[in-house]
Amino acid sequence: MRRPNPGILTMLPVLVFLLAGFVIPILVVALYSLMPPRTFDLAGSPTFTNYATAFAEGYWRPLMWSALGAAATTLICLVLAWPTARVLAHLAGRWATLVTLLIALPIFISESVRLFGLALFMMPGGGILAGSIDALFGVSIGTILYTRLAALLGLVYIHFPFVLFPLLLGVSLIPKDQVEAARDLGASGWQVFREIEAPLAAPGAAVGALLCFVLSLGANAEMNILGGQAVTVITNAIEQRFNYAQDWPLGAALTVLTVLLTAAVVFPVLKRIDVDRLARR
Amino acid sequence: MNGRAKSLFDSLQAAWLLLVLALLYIPMISVALASLSNTRYMLFPHRTWTTDAYADALASYTTGTLHLTSFRIAVLVMVLSVVLASFGALAFARFDWRGRRAFQRFLLLPLFFPQPVLGLALLVYFTALGITPSWQTAAFAHLVWIVPVVTLVISIRLYNYDVMQEDAAFDLGATRLQVLREVTLPALAPGIVSGALFAFLLSWSNLPLSVFTSGADTTLPEWLYSRTATNYSPMVPAIAVIATAVSALVVGAAAVGLSLARGRGGAKTAA
Repeated sequence: MRRPNPGILTMLPVLVFLLAGFVIPILVVALYSLMPPRTFDLAGSPTFTNYATAFAEGYWRPLMWSALGAAATTLICLVLAWPTARVLAHLAGRWATLVTLLIALPIFISESVRLFGLALFMMPGGGILAGSIDALFGVSIGTILYTRLAALLGLVYIHFPFVLFPLLLGVSLIPKDQVEAARDLGASGWQVFREIEAPLAAPGAAVGALLCFVLSLGANAEMNILGGQAVTVITNAIEQRFNYAQDWPLGAALTVLTVLLTAAVVFPVLKRIDVDRLARR
Repeated sequence: MNGRAKSLFDSLQAAWLLLVLALLYIPMISVALASLSNTRYMLFPHRTWTTDAYADALASYTTGTLHLTSFRIAVLVMVLSVVLASFGALAFARFDWRGRRAFQRFLLLPLFFPQPVLGLALLVYFTALGITPSWQTAAFAHLVWIVPVVTLVISIRLYNYDVMQEDAAFDLGATRLQVLREVTLPALAPGIVSGALFAFLLSWSNLPLSVFTSGADTTLPEWLYSRTATNYSPMVPAIAVIATAVSALVVGAAAVGLSLARGRGGAKTAA
């Protein structure tokens, strides 16, 4: 008698759960996006009206703001994470472990606590920063709180570890003797970066950048707490359609557009990455 | 590089790390500082420094309810995700089978997905199914992204696992069940413990999924989120500090429990 493959047996529970909790919900939302406007069941005849409305009523705007914010966040996080990863890889040993742990810890503290803290810090007048400076030097300073810049700062703050850790994996794959050899042969710092370090760290950087982009694409707490809703981000636009406007099909269409944008960036990168090799580290 | 340039370079590196750490911890320090006041308006530095807000928070009924809701969800998520992910990790890293690479990629998809959008999609899904959102549906939503995380955490452990041990046990006449209980599970145990810890902490602190899927029930992060905008009082940062301390306590308890278990295991081998 042939036994069923244990691999297939053991993956079944997770597969069934993710079908029920991830794939089917997205398909249900996709179905809703094809229903006539302002209906609440799936019995109507399919139509693309909602997508036409989404473009006609300027809903590409929140999607564009979210994508722009996500791209800017990813870029800034990469620029900040690169030297940090290099220093950590160079440091090695006990201290590096401690610092890495300290950088990882905030991931487990709620976003609402951390963003709230940032708001308290930046608050004008009696905020932690403005109040301290006023008390110490008698100078009152302004604030960037409730602007797009503050929201971007919050996005960078929340997503920095998600870029750093995959990048750290990549950087730790760079053999030190290769860098030394290139230096000995007279390569400049920029040449070492371009020819050796960047290509070797690329898979880690790609995973980190992807994670950062996708997570910031849907982020709305940063805009609500720090940005004072200076612009409408896509998640807020979808929520407004679902809750206040009671127009599920339009909200569903916006969700599908966001999912498509996510898939367009995720699939090409994920296809090229060797999961075994990255996870084995 | 000569000695002086090298030491300058080293101090620059240390300074950079300190700057990054300082920036990362400024918000937490700000919350802790804000909680030590007794005025309804933030006016730092406080005229009077007091821990009254903590006394109020501990006496308040809300604090208990919020913690209970978050705790229920986190425990349910922890138990279910560890069970699902233990099997998932075996398929991910241990067994060689035809669809493995596809399964690995599929499992990563919920991680590479904007959480608030997932929360909203699940809200529509639950409503379409006629399910009223509550803390249970929030736990379900948490599971969708925590099960993949825990599967990865356990898988990373499994890569270092020597399959020959199982073959040896089979050769010695052990049954499949015995091998699972005596060989596979003990090897998986450290991964399972860290996976459980990840699951609890990530669920405990989750905001974007809870906001849309918990219905009339309110978790700690949700409550804090709503209070940052309106109805501010020093009790809000005080509860934030308490909630964070609770999760630190859970990590501490797990670490102590783990070292105790390891000590006992070591004693058994020695005897």
